[in-house]
Amino acid sequence: MRNALRDGLCIETKMQGRSTSSVFYRALTCGAALLLCMASAHAEGTPIPHGTLELIARNQWIAAGHTLDLGLRFQLEKGWHIYWINPGDSGGPPRVEWQLPAGLAAGSIEWPAPRRLETGSIVDYGYEDRVLLIVPLHAAASLAAQQPVRLGAEVKLLVCSREMCIPGKAELSLTLPIKSQPPAADAQNLDARNHDARNHDARNHDARNDELFTATRRALPHPAPGNWRFSVADANDSFVLSANLGHRITQAVFFPLAESQIENAAPQKLLSVATGFRLTLRKSDRLLKPIARLKGVLVLSAEGSYLMDVPLSKPGAARSKAATVLESTQ
Amino acid sequence: MKRSTLYPMLLYPMLVALVLCAAPPLISAAKIGATAPDFTGTASTGKTFHLSDYRGKYVVLEWHNNGCPFVRKQYNSGNMQRLQKQWTSQGVVWFTILSSAPGKQGYATAQEENDYLAKTQAAPTAALLDPTGEIGHLYDAKTSPQMIVINPQGIVIYDGAIDDKPTTDLNDVAGATNYVSLALQQAMAGKPVETSATRPYGCSVKYADATH
Repeated sequence: MRNALRDGLCIETKMQGRSTSSVFYRALTCGAALLLCMASAHAEGTPIPHGTLELIARNQWIAAGHTLDLGLRFQLEKGWHIYWINPGDSGGPPRVEWQLPAGLAAGSIEWPAPRRLETGSIVDYGYEDRVLLIVPLHAAASLAAQQPVRLGAEVKLLVCSREMCIPGKAELSLTLPIKSQPPAADAQNLDARNHDARNHDARNHDARNDELFTATRRALPHPAPGNWRFSVADANDSFVLSANLGHRITQAVFFPLAESQIENAAPQKLLSVATGFRLTLRKSDRLLKPIARLKGVLVLSAEGSYLMDVPLSKPGAARSKAATVLESTQ
Repeated sequence: MKRSTLYPMLLYPMLVALVLCAAPPLISAAKIGATAPDFTGTASTGKTFHLSDYRGKYVVLEWHNNGCPFVRKQYNSGNMQRLQKQWTSQGVVWFTILSSAPGKQGYATAQEENDYLAKTQAAPTAALLDPTGEIGHLYDAKTSPQMIVINPQGIVIYDGAIDDKPTTDLNDVAGATNYVSLALQQAMAGKPVETSATRPYGCSVKYADATH
């Protein structure tokens, strides 16, 4: 629909150009309109409510026996957001249904750390502006080299602002050739030299995609370094997450993976200590049974985001080593 | 004489102070197993309803926003209307509550809401207009369609989602486990409510912007 709208706009602009008397202005307007149309035709995604969505790939081929990063690239208008895997108090994450040829299998979305989206007493977890959701595509080793195959994805999603929520659906596709093995770097360079100027643009585009995938992967939540120590204590109406990282932390935000464990809207109280921090997370009113582990993503603004899966300290048992160390360093 | 005229002058401020100190905290969100806070609501028909008038009956509270895709799933499939008819015919009181502020998704005037109820053939006991969000905040309602079930003793026995399929897909209504029906069935059979709290999936309630 947006494409149709854009085309319509292009035609209209050109027609206005014709109606001007001056040949010079006519040429200028036509030229400008044409440039504008060409520019907007490039890097245009499929329209979704208040944004666009595009299916992109890190490489422009699929290699048998290898994994290729695919990405759902969202661009949202200011004031609109989509949701993390745990959306928090409201909303819901995008859902993808893949249509893939035999021998290709899509993995799960690799979720970047979300942001806290606060509206009064309601706190959601999601993404604003731009986000790339990476999905690894596994190609069977038995796949024979063949003509380009079509990768299809149907994405259902919810786009919300503070005032309203709109459901969206996008049918995306990407056509890529299958090679028996990844092209060697030399071969790629040779390929590059043999290509004409138009393909030069495509290669630049690939390089930009590659940078985007690299940056997104780097920022994904990682397992915490092995020498960091975490513990979670059950303290009546709260969970207290204690961290011993060997250095002071002044900012930390926890995003729970499971719903209804912590009160999303409650402020997370941070106590900064010489060896790390202690974060108090208020329990959800809906948490009626004790939990065994606290799972989620911890965002330390200075150092990145980390995957957390910490067993709860047994109530009444001696404090875990990390907690004791923390205590003594305060 | 002098003393007796002084008394009321001292007594009033003291009384005021006493009342202020003894007053319960203003925000007392509904808690499962606790007494449901009382409210007075004005229906789209203009009629006034007090929750406390319905002691002795089961009461269902349904947070509504007619533009929310999660709500539309329930109404477009006819599921919400079915539930309203099924349970009100068994004596359950069903309040649909609209806590959207004017200008936000889901806000409706009395006339608009009456038209909507007629068009969708909805059958709640009443649709309460709550544009200030007073009732919504009283129950700490986070989403539409958040559902609360109150037993005849006035105790909250369920608070959360309408069912176990947190999607906007109409096809997901058929196979879903409906938590409201489950809670009512179990409670009416004298059994404890197995699932009494879930995450109330849906759209955030479009409250008026906080002024405090």
